[in-house]
Amino acid sequence: MKVLRFSAIWCSACLVMKKIFKHVENMHPELEFINYDYDTDEELVEKYNIGTTIPVLIFLDENENEITRIVGEKSYDEIEEIIASISKEG
Amino acid sequence: MIYLDYSATTPVNKEVLDTFNKVSLDFVGNPNSLHKLGVESKNLIDKSIEQIKQILNVPNHEVIFTSGSSEANNLAIKGICEKYQNRGKHIITTELEHSSIYGPLNYLSELGFEVDFVKLDEFGMVDLESLKSLIRDDTILVSITAVNSEIGIKQPINEIAEILNQYPKCYFHVDATQAVGKVKVDLTNIDLVSFSAHKFFGLKGIGCLLKKNNIVINPQINGGKSTSNYRSGTPTVALDASLAKALRLVYQDIGVAYKHVEELNSYLKEKIKDYDNVYINSNEYSIPHILNLSVVGIKPETMLHALEEHDIYISTQSACATGASSKAVMALTKSIDRANSSIRISLSKLTTKEEIDKFVDAFDKCIKKLLLK
Repeated sequence: MKVLRFSAIWCSACLVMKKIFKHVENMHPELEFINYDYDTDEELVEKYNIGTTIPVLIFLDENENEITRIVGEKSYDEIEEIIASISKEG
Repeated sequence: MIYLDYSATTPVNKEVLDTFNKVSLDFVGNPNSLHKLGVESKNLIDKSIEQIKQILNVPNHEVIFTSGSSEANNLAIKGICEKYQNRGKHIITTELEHSSIYGPLNYLSELGFEVDFVKLDEFGMVDLESLKSLIRDDTILVSITAVNSEIGIKQPINEIAEILNQYPKCYFHVDATQAVGKVKVDLTNIDLVSFSAHKFFGLKGIGCLLKKNNIVINPQINGGKSTSNYRSGTPTVALDASLAKALRLVYQDIGVAYKHVEELNSYLKEKIKDYDNVYINSNEYSIPHILNLSVVGIKPETMLHALEEHDIYISTQSACATGASSKAVMALTKSIDRANSSIRISLSKLTTKEEIDKFVDAFDKCIKKLLLK
C-alpha cells in the first residue's frame, strides 16, 4: 500500500512527527512511504486538497484511490489504530 | 496609516539610512583588498564590530555578519551540528521557535539527527526540569528563542545557560531576533546568538550571529576567509555599519521605549478586556511589544483584512509560517478555537496612544460587522 506524506521544512509539527513516522515505517515494511514537499510539490498539494494543516499522510489502495488520511500531529497508537482498521477492511 | 506589525519588521530610522548611504558612497574599497581603500573599509567594519560587542556586552564573542536571522539561525544550528556530530546527534528545542529554527532542524533530522522538544509550563515557559531530563551524553545543541515571535514569551535564557554550563559538550543557541533592541538581555553566557537589524529600525538584509570565540562551527557558505572564517562573501561594509548604528540608536533609549510600550500595552488590554469573545493569549511573561489575542468566531485573515480597510496593519501568526491554526497559541491555551483565531498586534516606541485609540475604535467596528455576517 502506498502512503503519501506531505510535510514542509519549516513545519514544527512535521518535526515533532518525524520520530513517530520513522517508527511506523520500521514497523510496517509493507507500506511504501512517498515524501512530498508542501511548498514545492504544488500540483500534488492541490490534487490531494492538502489544505493548511500538515503533516498529512494519505493512504492509497492498489488503484491509487484514497482510503483515508491522517492530518496533523497524532500519537503512534492513533496511527497504528488507523492502519489496523484499514488492514481489517482491506 | 496605523502600523501595528513592528515584530514583523520596523521602518528604517533615517539616521541609519543616512549612515548606509554615506558609507556606500565614501567607502568604496573591498575590505579584503590590501590597498589603502580596502584597509579603510576593513577598519570601519572592525569599528562596527567593536561597537556591537560593546553595546551588547559580549567581549568574548565573535560578530559574524549574516543576511539576517534566518541565515544566522541556519549557520548556528547546522554549523554546530556538522562540526560536532562525532560527539552526538541529539538536539533539544521548543515548540515556540521561528520557522528558520525548524528548517535546519528538519534538514538535520533527515541526516540522522534526533530532535526532542522540551516541555513548556502553563505560561509557555521552558520547564527547566524537563530540559535537564532531556539532556543526554550525545546532546550537542540546545536551541531556544529568547522571545517567541507570536506570543512574546520571554524565556529565562540565563537560567538555561547556567544549567547547560554543566554540560561542556552541549552548546546553547539563542534566537534573540525578537529580543535585541526591545528588551535588555544578558548574552554574556550564551554560546551563539542570532539577531537581525530590521527588527530594531535597521535595514533589511543584515543580521548577526554572535559566537563565543572558543567555539568552532562549520561555515555554510564555502568561499574562503572574509572578515570572518565562518561566512564567506564580500563584506557588506555599509550594511554592517548601519547595523551598528541602528543598535546604538535603539539602545540609547531602550529603557524609556520599553516603559512607553508597556504603558500602551496595558492601555490597549484595558480597552479590549470586556469583549466576550476576545481572549488575550500573551501573558505576564510576554514582552509588552507583542500582544497576541484571539477573536473567537472570526478568522484571523478576515480580521486582518477588515482592519486593513481602516488602514490598520496587524499580523496573523509569525510572518514566515502558514497553516490553519497557531501551534504556539494551541500549546499555550490548549484551545483550538483560540488557536484558530489568533492575531498579533505588535507595538514599538513609535506607537502612540492616539493610534491605539483609533485601533480600538476600528477593532470594535470590525468585530460587530464580522459577527453579524
